Amino acid sequence: MRQPSVIARRVAAASVSLVVAAGAAACGPEDNDAKASGGDSAPQKGGTLTVLNSEPQTDFDPARLYTSGGGNVPSLVFRTLTTRNRENGAAGAKVVPDLATDTGRPNKDATVWTYTLKKGLKYEDGTPITSADIKYGIERSFAPELSGGAPYLRDWLTGAADYQGPYKDKKGLSAIGTPDERTIVFHLNKPEGEFPYLATQTQFTPVPKAKDTGTKYESHPVSSGPYKVVSNDNDGEHLVLARNTHWSAATDEERKAYPDKIDVRSGLDSSVINQRLSASQGADAAAVTTDTNLGPAELAKVSGDKALAARVGTGHFGYTNYLAFNPTVKPFDDPKVRQAISYAIDRSSVVNAAGGSALAEAATTFLPDQKSFGYTPYDPFPAGTSGNAAKAKELLAQAGHKNGLSITLTHSNSKDFETSPEIATAVQDALKKAGITVKLQGLEDNGYRDKIHSVKTEPGFFLAHWGADWPSGGPFLAPIFDGRQIVKDGSNFNSGLLDDKSVNTEIDAINKLTDLDAAAERWGALDRKIGEKALVVPLFHPVYKRLYGEDVKNVVISDWTGVLDISQVAVK
Amino acid sequence: MNGFTGFVLRRVIGAVVTLFALSVIIYVVFYVTPGNVAQITCGPRCSPAQVHQVAQQLHLDDPLYVRYGHFLQGIFAGQDYSTGTSVEHCAAPCLGQSYQTGRQVTDVIWTKLPVSVSLVLGAMVIWLVLGIGTGVLSAWRRGRFTERALTAVTLAGTATPVFVIGLVLMIVVCGELRLLPFPQYVNLTDDPEQWAWNLLLPWLSLALIEAAGFARLTRASMLETLAEDHIRTFRAYGVGERAIIVRHALRGATASVIALNAVTVGSAVGGAVLTETLFGLPGIGQELVHAVKVVDLPVVVGMVLVTGFFVVLANALADVLYAVADRRVVLA
Repeated sequence: MRQPSVIARRVAAASVSLVVAAGAAACGPEDNDAKASGGDSAPQKGGTLTVLNSEPQTDFDPARLYTSGGGNVPSLVFRTLTTRNRENGAAGAKVVPDLATDTGRPNKDATVWTYTLKKGLKYEDGTPITSADIKYGIERSFAPELSGGAPYLRDWLTGAADYQGPYKDKKGLSAIGTPDERTIVFHLNKPEGEFPYLATQTQFTPVPKAKDTGTKYESHPVSSGPYKVVSNDNDGEHLVLARNTHWSAATDEERKAYPDKIDVRSGLDSSVINQRLSASQGADAAAVTTDTNLGPAELAKVSGDKALAARVGTGHFGYTNYLAFNPTVKPFDDPKVRQAISYAIDRSSVVNAAGGSALAEAATTFLPDQKSFGYTPYDPFPAGTSGNAAKAKELLAQAGHKNGLSITLTHSNSKDFETSPEIATAVQDALKKAGITVKLQGLEDNGYRDKIHSVKTEPGFFLAHWGADWPSGGPFLAPIFDGRQIVKDGSNFNSGLLDDKSVNTEIDAINKLTDLDAAAERWGALDRKIGEKALVVPLFHPVYKRLYGEDVKNVVISDWTGVLDISQVAVK
Repeated sequence: MNGFTGFVLRRVIGAVVTLFALSVIIYVVFYVTPGNVAQITCGPRCSPAQVHQVAQQLHLDDPLYVRYGHFLQGIFAGQDYSTGTSVEHCAAPCLGQSYQTGRQVTDVIWTKLPVSVSLVLGAMVIWLVLGIGTGVLSAWRRGRFTERALTAVTLAGTATPVFVIGLVLMIVVCGELRLLPFPQYVNLTDDPEQWAWNLLLPWLSLALIEAAGFARLTRASMLETLAEDHIRTFRAYGVGERAIIVRHALRGATASVIALNAVTVGSAVGGAVLTETLFGLPGIGQELVHAVKVVDLPVVVGMVLVTGFFVVLANALADVLYAVADRRVVLA
């Protein structure tokens, strides 16, 4: 799973990067997602779609992008072996073929995955796309010069742990075989039933070796998708895409590619983006954003205007904000203390601090409440909407803290409404009712990340969040709760330092399943089992609300990205 | 060596020393700042082994003095970089390569500088006209309603943050009245007309903030001159009020206005961060803020050096212009 804030890579601005990486923008009227605004006429080809973004598309290299399902703008240029289903809601959380004829054919124990490329696939220069190009694209993502992507390929491919990419190691990855121009075979070091999900990431984009220019490739990556790069100015600040005439809709069922041209403008202030989208003036009438949500104040204003409110898209990306405990730090080593805090939490005040129920939904499960994740409702420490202080006090007394307790909550000082001071203060107030005095420790964002992700410095109690690399329980639970993923000398996400044999075994068992529905069910059950250990207190799942221009049609928002899918948008 | 040459020489040496001191300070500050650069560059989920590879690639494991040595070497001798598929030469003065994007910092500067310079020079014209105009009117109309009103307006201009002025301007002019499209930067060389239209609101916003300072300075210097004995003598001889204001009082204010202007321009080239951010102008200030956030040391150093260069240059220029405008000043 990717941690959305970091996704866009490296960048700390959590909310923004999340979006960039997911590459998506949420739009589409609530409960009515598919209905397009901008008139009732059917979507037509033509016109220019403007994208107004806050974060520049600085890494436009498929090796460096960290996306969920291939990203939004990137997915217009980069095709991958598989991709996300471009449909509204839960149907959009499915993985479907893209360059490949199917989502992959596993061997019996899911350690070997074979793909066949569709016929007639071409790059923007008309040359054919071959399986060797996909292999090369994956290999170059291992080069330290092009770092930034997700860790799975390195972890899963046989013998890939120390590979340094094709620039230093010409022999290449033996784990990937290309018996002929249309066939590619992946050999994994353990069963991974969710490999088809991984193959949606941009590292699975074909890169023609002869056109590779290393770190310079991002200025003009060779397109395999419906659009090609015309210009990329100011480090991704102004990106112009035009039709790739060698792309064939017959080979691509997912991308609609209605507009003739895509004009991506970035580096804009979020308030200006929302102002422009609401004014919807001139070219902005055909504009969307793929990285800027409506904030609480903006949403209040927009909701009061019927015409504007009809131009707000709502989506749910698999993402959970939670309180994390480090059980090696006193008093959090005592499960009763952790349970007491779980009982004391006032989720309604936390949700209010996050912008109200329109922007946040209270959560009692670690997994997002979507079927594809295997969502299984549970609430082992029922706190009601506003906390159960009496039960919390009772547990504290049992734990020997009759006269209350004094603890420190570490949080970030970034203004993201996730790990920010507003949320920390809401937690502080709720715990006070249960006799727990919370001292707040707010840190600058980089300092906060360094601290919470290092086993050596991890605080006892802190705000955290986790987002989905793809809509399944696997990348959501394993990095946080698999004991073998505890990283002692680097960036660690298993904050509870849980190394439970039965949990690890169950993770391995589920990874063997290639029936994704069956796997989802078991992820849900595992989530419940782990939830009872009170290593985290789930707080809320965010809801994305984004404006789009008056002329924008065919708004599709899947549960995979939670944001408007730019490949479906029409402006005529 | 005459006085002027000596002055220039001293200033150049001073500037070079200042800029080097700046670069050393930034290196040291970043060395002790939180944020694991290799981890940020590599991504949050990178394994320790991979982070180590990136750290090696970026020479982050080297001691501070070695890294600074590399930086100096780049400035004097240039450096070679690997793009993976080829080796690229970054000619002296090479400020290094961005950790995050791999771009040469000098390229980044040349991309961002025209934006900042466009913003500041255009705004300068407006703040000079507004500021000096208001100052002259206030001095002329001293004690009357006009002066009070102008003082109030200019004070309000200084006291209002640029993101308020800018946002209000955008909402009213672009959103409500629809007189202009929302600004987005267009290169001067691509389309001069669009360049100017798109920069009009940023120019106004920045100028409104700065104009007040010029108004107050102009007014104060003019009033000082008007109170002098020789002005009373001119008046006694029947010299017209307009001539006194323009020829004598305003001239008296010129030197200090020039000096203030040079310094304001110099610091705004890298310092108009809020204006650049609000209007989405990809200039030096915006880049600097972004680079600090992602701990991109080479870019931070580059942007600070550019900003520092303009401040130092502006100060030196102010001294020279001051001396030219007012012969009583001796360059020292």
